[in-house]
Amino acid sequence: MTDDPIAELSDVARTYGGVAVLEDVSLSVPPGVTAVIGPNGSGKSTLLGVLAGAVEPTDGGARYVGPDADRPIGYLPQRVPFREEFTARETLAFYARLAGGDPDDALARVGLSDAADRRVGALSGGMRRLLGIAQATVGDPPLVVLDEPTSGLDPGMRERAFGTAVDASGTDTAVVVSSHDLDLVDRHADRVAILDRGRVAAAGLRERLCSERGVGDVAGLYRAVVAGDAPDARSDDTDGDEPSAVHVTGVSER
Amino acid sequence: MRGIGKTGDRTAPVATVFRRELATVLRTPGYGVLALGLFVVLGGTLAVGGGGRTGFVPAVVDLLSVTEVVVPLAAFVVGYRALLVDAESGELAVIRTYPVSVAGYVAGVVLARTLAFLAIVVVPYALIGGVVWATAAPDTGIFATHSGVDSPLLYLRFLGLLVPFGAAYLSLATAVSAVASSRRGAVAIAVLALVAGVLGGDLALLRSLASGTPPSAIPGLLASAPNGAFRGLVFEGVIGVSFAPAGEFVDVGRAVGALLGWTVGGLVVSTMSLAYGDRIGVLFEGVRARLPSP
Repeated sequence: MTDDPIAELSDVARTYGGVAVLEDVSLSVPPGVTAVIGPNGSGKSTLLGVLAGAVEPTDGGARYVGPDADRPIGYLPQRVPFREEFTARETLAFYARLAGGDPDDALARVGLSDAADRRVGALSGGMRRLLGIAQATVGDPPLVVLDEPTSGLDPGMRERAFGTAVDASGTDTAVVVSSHDLDLVDRHADRVAILDRGRVAAAGLRERLCSERGVGDVAGLYRAVVAGDAPDARSDDTDGDEPSAVHVTGVSER
Repeated sequence: MRGIGKTGDRTAPVATVFRRELATVLRTPGYGVLALGLFVVLGGTLAVGGGGRTGFVPAVVDLLSVTEVVVPLAAFVVGYRALLVDAESGELAVIRTYPVSVAGYVAGVVLARTLAFLAIVVVPYALIGGVVWATAAPDTGIFATHSGVDSPLLYLRFLGLLVPFGAAYLSLATAVSAVASSRRGAVAIAVLALVAGVLGGDLALLRSLASGTPPSAIPGLLASAPNGAFRGLVFEGVIGVSFAPAGEFVDVGRAVGALLGWTVGGLVVSTMSLAYGDRIGVLFEGVRARLPSP
């Protein structure tokens, strides 16, 4: 797996009604799974929206620097948005026609083959999310951005949805996923970016961040960074021996 | 959309968006009710005006005023949420990660809605034409367009003029759907646009005449608004054929240009709004940031 970035955010800021939601966020996204975690209202969805091109930043910008692709970025917003009158297969067929691919293969990838002819409106919340993940990977985009794909799901379905998302990552593919499920992040994420009040409070390789803060898992890391339980809660990841794949401008300024 | 089925190849994005939108329209039973309601209104209007036996041109005269209201109304019903649906649900943000341009997306949606609109509007009018054909006096069967003679061809011309008239309003309705940020907002803007479109042109014309504009300018002024342009073209090409008018009803070239202009203008507003709406929002945020906080 290379550390060459697939996408970069540079000094990104976003305000809504004059209220800052993101401030001075710089981040590079290499291949693998990057989990974005943080409290409610910390700017996770806005960050992912900027990365996916769905949200226009008020300052700074997002840049895709990955390999050439017809569809460079796949995106699933927090609320799965598909038209309810279409079946799962029809929904993916529409997207497959735009980006190439086979809707049945995409359904099989997320285990929804048996629900192919069910209307989106009749799918459970978990199945909708799986359909959304399938959509985000149509056309094999090198960068897949998933906003809380496990939100509101039971434990089994959370594991399945997150696992499916992780499966989309590879040596040349990056998956950026936001989640409140720190256990899943701990098990699956290669890198973690922690947002707090619109700024990146810590970012880097998961194991190294945990090691630096003397915590055993991502839940401990979260408590250390966001709640300030650890003595070195706001240290800059880029100070480590190993060059970080995630450069965080905002961290050193705090 | 079952017919889309399994695909490995890529077809034109506009056609793909078009098929999806058309499938959505076909699964909306309300549009069938709209067409039925339109047929009832038109049939009632025809009956009040003397029924189909009076002939095609008298039927057009009876239907003209109602048409100037119901066609724009139908256009707004079909189009006021055309682009809002995906924007409101968040699916537009997803679609924009695919290789389809904003212009292509708008084109696909508008083409499908136009086809649906034509079916909703033209079918009831065609049925009314059939009623006139079946019940009119014998001389209405003459296929002629010369002065003093009633003819089905004149009614066909009327049907033909419904297309650019309805397209202009559908394009405006689509623009409303692109500009509005919510369904309630779209309804409010659509009602305003509908009232302005149906009454605004004539009121502006009256005001212009009251302020000293010579009557000779009426044909040109009338052509500017969609309703005036459509009415003028109907008088020029359908009703006026049956008698010898003293002068021109409307500047035909300007009327055609106006209907085309309203149509293109609506499409441009729709496309620009989707393509640059977020950036405009960001500009407002920038202005707000520079204002001193209270």
